[in-house]
Amino acid sequence: MQNPLIKTKSLKITKVFLSLISFLLIITQVSCAQKNNTGKIIVSSKGKIESLDPAQASKLLAIQLISSLGDTLYRINSDGNLEPRLAKDLPTFSEDRLTISIPLRENVLFHDGTEFNSYAMAFSLKRFLEIGTLSYVISDRIESIETPERFKLILKLKRPSSSINGVLTSINITPISPKAYLSFKNKFLNDKFIGTGPYKLESFTPERQALIPFEDYWGNKVQNKGINFINYSTSVSLFSAIKSGQVDVLLSNSIEDGHRRALNQLSQKGLLNEGEGPAMQIGYVALRSHKPPLNNKVLRQALSYSINRDLIVRKVSYGLRDPLRSVVPRALKTENNEPWPKYEPSIAKELYKRAGYCNNKKLILPITFRSNVPADKLLALTWQEQVKKDLSECLILELNGVESTTIYKQLGEGSFEAVILGWTGDYPDPEAYLSPLFDCKKINNETCKKGEAVFGGTFWANQKLQNVLKRSELESGITRNNTLNEAEKLASEGTAILPVWLVKPRIWTQPEFNTPEFDGSGRVLLDRLSIKSKNE
Amino acid sequence: MNRTRAIAKYTAIRLGSIPIMLWLISTMVFMLLRIAPGDPVDAILGNRADDLARNAMRERLGLNQSIFKQYLSFLNDLIHGNLGNALNTQEPVSEIISKALPASIELGITALLIASIVGFVIGLSGTARPESKTDLAGRLYGIGTYALPPFWAAMMIQLFFSVILGWLPIGGRLPPGSSIPEGSGYLILDSIKNGNLLLLQNALRHLLLPAGTLGILLSGVFSRSLRINLNKTLQMDHIEAAKSRGLNKSRILFFHALPNAMLPVLTITGLTVASLIGGALLIEVTFSWPGIALKLQEAINQRDYPIVQGIVVVISMLVVFISVIVDLLIAIIDPRVSY
Repeated sequence: MQNPLIKTKSLKITKVFLSLISFLLIITQVSCAQKNNTGKIIVSSKGKIESLDPAQASKLLAIQLISSLGDTLYRINSDGNLEPRLAKDLPTFSEDRLTISIPLRENVLFHDGTEFNSYAMAFSLKRFLEIGTLSYVISDRIESIETPERFKLILKLKRPSSSINGVLTSINITPISPKAYLSFKNKFLNDKFIGTGPYKLESFTPERQALIPFEDYWGNKVQNKGINFINYSTSVSLFSAIKSGQVDVLLSNSIEDGHRRALNQLSQKGLLNEGEGPAMQIGYVALRSHKPPLNNKVLRQALSYSINRDLIVRKVSYGLRDPLRSVVPRALKTENNEPWPKYEPSIAKELYKRAGYCNNKKLILPITFRSNVPADKLLALTWQEQVKKDLSECLILELNGVESTTIYKQLGEGSFEAVILGWTGDYPDPEAYLSPLFDCKKINNETCKKGEAVFGGTFWANQKLQNVLKRSELESGITRNNTLNEAEKLASEGTAILPVWLVKPRIWTQPEFNTPEFDGSGRVLLDRLSIKSKNE
Repeated sequence: MNRTRAIAKYTAIRLGSIPIMLWLISTMVFMLLRIAPGDPVDAILGNRADDLARNAMRERLGLNQSIFKQYLSFLNDLIHGNLGNALNTQEPVSEIISKALPASIELGITALLIASIVGFVIGLSGTARPESKTDLAGRLYGIGTYALPPFWAAMMIQLFFSVILGWLPIGGRLPPGSSIPEGSGYLILDSIKNGNLLLLQNALRHLLLPAGTLGILLSGVFSRSLRINLNKTLQMDHIEAAKSRGLNKSRILFFHALPNAMLPVLTITGLTVASLIGGALLIEVTFSWPGIALKLQEAINQRDYPIVQGIVVVISMLVVFISVIVDLLIAIIDPRVSY
């Protein structure tokens, strides 16, 4: 039954409504506002950048951006060697290895026109030591910073430290203009950056940043007209943005494995370019070794033989992650030794039996994963299924997802028997992986009472390993590499950590761009991105 | 007591209760955050920092003090209008909120506008032809949009309009490279005020998908509510009386039926606005919309207590104000309402 009262009126309203929709669609489609007419490259990534202060930066995205806006004293080049940037030459060590002398490059300007010199470098270093969130990484090594000459910096160390070379490549000690940061000596400057890099900051919000070439840059000129960063909240948005051509470049720091695979397939079809950097991020399982049941070393060894890394990387990442049987990424090693054992269910069963399991007694092990990291959940699920298939008479894995912030808080309290975690070294050196995972300041019968192993949730320590790590700080070259290999072997025998996979940073560009390059620390060299010339 | 005085008294009581409500809410948030597992120091330093670094950071952030002292200091700051500084970036919380709130309000108001228009049109169409195909479609639409999971609907809409058709941007508030101009933070208002057509166009392009998605998802409730209430009203005696007095159709509809039918819709609108300010999270996440809900989620993840507390207090204030305004509007429209 029709209601004549409102029939006519509703038709009129419908017409007005449709006209309004059409008007909106027309005005939003009139010009190609979304198209990039500036000639700048649009780079997309996941997450936000809350701060551009190098003393504050710890997230990969902020580190990537700061590496384009500033230069470090040294960087690790694609061959894995230390390459002077703002330093003129390699550092020289005194005989007692407690003094480092660094000659600095001349004729380098900050973006505000201030000269880069030893004073500026000392200002930046001291500021980081004073307010830097990660200052604890270097504060126990640097005794004092001296500026004997305008272009010479002297670092006095508290103890000999071979890994200081790696520290000198850290983005956190990127020099900043003392003039621009004068009022920010003791506090963060979040939305500006005045460095010496190939780009200078044009505008900044946490969600988008615009970079333009720095015309007075001391090094090679950038090969594009600038970079517009845009940060999306989800992996789906990132994937959609590059697929629909709304962005030119996609950085893969946090993109999900399914999307990574789809992008990889698109690049194999020639629809995108894919660049691959040195893998610096490891995924591992930390085993709590000071409380039952995993205080039994035989059980930990059994678990070490129970994980099929090849299957896991195939199922979780479609082969785009590398299986890992070492805690130090391959890019930081001279030889490819992998001290952790391969998957051997028969040996694992023997070990479980030796520990008193398998004969109608199953080890029920809760595995905790970071619920906000999709890959960790998939790792846990795949491992659980693999164990059900091959080792069901000895081992049952129970999964437990907990938000990462809660996990980090409770790790040091020994709340998790086995927990899946990830780690990227603060600087590109094996020591940046071994120390944070195995250092211990107070050991009691293979149990760490105080130190990194406690924060990491393993509570495992070994005096011999500590001695070897300490010795490595006094050595250099091949001798040091051998010592670090020895340390890793000792760590593998303790089996408090099960390395699982290695994550390579990837970047995708639209086909008209050249293939992107990475430096040896896994950072993209954005200044080398450009549109291909016609004969390429 | 006459009606005007009664309304004024009611308003005064409601406004007077705001400080008490805010105190209760902020106290609850303060306590819940401290009880929740996780530590802001871990979120800032990572879990590898040694005790020395952790204690220094704790001291710097004022977290070394007793919970009671922290609470007193928080209340004292709140009374003086100081929401504190973010633990992570040390940026004043009021600045963080003032940057994010306009984005959420712009999204919320546009979504509400779309929801009202769409809901009104569909509700009215259904009433025009009760039990017809249009009515059935409208009812299905109402139930469907209400039942759709927001994140799924948002992703589908994004896929269709941004990826397949390529008409609208994937997300954000403005195109890459363009920065938010100086002004109120409300891009549409700012662009109209400054006569900046390009900014207006860009702002509308970016607003259309998130606001459209949110608006469509909310419109079902409006259309259902309007249809039911309008049908009920049109059968009332006063409508028959109006018809018999020979009043024209439009007058009956807009001056006699609609005001009565709109009362429950207005109540729903009030409740929706309240949920919109903090509840548009999934839409803000999907469309990378830099609003207050997204900021709140990030702050919770980072255990950034001052930001969470600040945002909750501001949202609570808005919700209380809006509910008072809705109550007053209802009182003004409907003389039957007594206080």
